[in-house]
Amino acid sequence: METSRDDVGIAIRSAFIKKGAQQRFSLFALAVLSILLIFLDTIESKPLNNARSVIKDIIYRSASLTSYPTKSFSNFYSSIEKHITLHKKYKILLEENKKLKNNFSDKEFLELENTQLRKLIDEQAQSSLNLLSARVLLDKQSPYLNSLIVNTGSNQKVKNGLAVLDGKNFVGRIVDVNYFSSRVLLITDLNSKIPVVVEPSGTQAILSGRGINELTLQYLPENHKIKEGDKIYTSGKEGFFSSGIPIGEVVINEDDFNVLLFSDLSQITFLNISLGQLNIN
Amino acid sequence: MSLNIKKFRFNILETLPLLFLFYLSFIGSSIINIGFLSINVLYILVYFWVLRKPQILGYGYIFLSGIISDVVLGMPLGINALSLLFIAGTAAYIRVVTVRITLINDWISFIPALIFANFIYFASMNLSNIEVDYIYFLKNSIFTFIFYPILWIVFSLYLNLIKNN
Repeated sequence: METSRDDVGIAIRSAFIKKGAQQRFSLFALAVLSILLIFLDTIESKPLNNARSVIKDIIYRSASLTSYPTKSFSNFYSSIEKHITLHKKYKILLEENKKLKNNFSDKEFLELENTQLRKLIDEQAQSSLNLLSARVLLDKQSPYLNSLIVNTGSNQKVKNGLAVLDGKNFVGRIVDVNYFSSRVLLITDLNSKIPVVVEPSGTQAILSGRGINELTLQYLPENHKIKEGDKIYTSGKEGFFSSGIPIGEVVINEDDFNVLLFSDLSQITFLNISLGQLNIN
Repeated sequence: MSLNIKKFRFNILETLPLLFLFYLSFIGSSIINIGFLSINVLYILVYFWVLRKPQILGYGYIFLSGIISDVVLGMPLGINALSLLFIAGTAAYIRVVTVRITLINDWISFIPALIFANFIYFASMNLSNIEVDYIYFLKNSIFTFIFYPILWIVFSLYLNLIKNN
């Protein structure tokens, strides 16, 4: 029995502590270094943040270069796919065109309604939104974190918490800023919780990501009057984003109030970062 | 001259698994999602090569690729590195205690490696207050385990190719 225990001890020492064949580092030393890094990642200090920022910037740029062949192939594949579905899309566009022509007479009414809604949600004028354009560097989404890397960082006054828009639609917020790059936590991520207002009923709720394209409305009041197709806007309640940024529309699945986004997150190449209206330091 | 070409070819063949490891880390495709399937290729790659030919994938490189994965996938630094090192550690331990290497032995010993690595991953994410989809975690572990023999065969064929050179 003693010998057997000794054997296990020797095997563990040999595997974890000693340097293996042609190995420069022992596993144990590297595991300790990893644990140290995990703890260091939770500490906020200027030198550490600068070091992290440099490491991340270098890796993002290298990753952007490395993923270029994969991205090119993927673009090539999607362009072929687009050509194949061209006829089908042409038919859909014809239908849409017809509908738009019919809806043209409603334009003035919709503009009026839009102005009223904007007043209702206390949105400031569009021109006051200080938008910064950014290009998506990496869009490889982790199964555990739905995020994007963009090519602007603290060099362009980007800060944590800023709203990120695709055109005029809200798609996420900045969660990590480096000098030349930033990470955008997409609204679909499990960790994303955004205070929103549902129009036209004016109901306040929290929009939670589920890791998939359909989001869910939480903390709704008991007697709300939300209907299918109602529009979702940021409420600006938390003080991070300005109010009235469009997000999506309500889809009712049995008892669940889900939200379908206005933007297709898989097709984003350029984004706008809202630099203005930030109420945090 | 022919000896040099042969040596060059041998070196290239020996470096490819390492390049593949870094390529997967850089493009953030350590986990392949095909429909319902979700497979952690990085775990299988590290486990197989540390078990069968450890000199190809150095521990330092495994650590570095884990750090790259962490940065690309937006995880706190060190989580992937630590779980990959645990996979490598279990493989190294199995290599020390076993004499004959067979698919069944490898496959069964992959279970504790997977459990350890996922536990580390899960615990570190919890420590960092990152919400996790538990069902996805479980699904990923099961499919990574099921998919192991297929990659084992592919890598074994490649290993024979290296040996023949």
